[in-house]
Amino acid sequence: MTVFQTENIQSKLMNSYYELTYIISPVLEDEQYPAVIQRINDLITSKGGTVEEVEEWGLRKFAYEMDKKQTGFYVNLYFEGPATAIESIERAMRIDDEIMRYLTLKYDAKMKRHKELVKKNAVPEVFPVIEEDDSEEDK
Amino acid sequence: MIKNPSHPKKSVRKVKQCKFTEAGLEYIDYKDVETLQRFTNDQGKILPRRVTGTSAKHQRQLTTAIKRARFLGLMPYVAENLR
Repeated sequence: MTVFQTENIQSKLMNSYYELTYIISPVLEDEQYPAVIQRINDLITSKGGTVEEVEEWGLRKFAYEMDKKQTGFYVNLYFEGPATAIESIERAMRIDDEIMRYLTLKYDAKMKRHKELVKKNAVPEVFPVIEEDDSEEDK
Repeated sequence: MIKNPSHPKKSVRKVKQCKFTEAGLEYIDYKDVETLQRFTNDQGKILPRRVTGTSAKHQRQLTTAIKRARFLGLMPYVAENLR
């Protein structure tokens, strides 16, 4: 019983690994994006999280029109933090007019292993590229 | 007729293999749009398992991955030409 209780407390205090992708509204000027990214990073840090990796995908065209806009500035980041922080981070992002959309994912062991593979650039190909001899076709 | 294995009406069914199991993939990433796109038709619909041969486990992962990609505007809900 006591073992179970301590485990429960630990899991509450334990930090989990998260991935967060968000889209910044394209109405901003190019030099304003770093400020928004910094603000989000500070927000996560202030809630007790530690930002590990920030990757800017830059302006991308949407596959469909979103809030009357065709493009958006994508930012993908990884952070570690307590579960209680997520709610307040998401709330702050929902209120933020410059953030169009966000997606937070909690990483489990499988996803972490997958991320390691991505880092090493060793993700197994789902559709292996079959090399064809073009030389014969040219003749 | 039925017992004759070479009868044209009794064609051998092609055994379909799950691409993800073959590759040994553990997690289907919503960021990998190129792969996901191959499991949708030209309308942008998710192809059924009976067409692609994906295993049930991976089909479940695949649908969530595609839906996440759609939410973030990486993939279309409905193809451009049909809207």
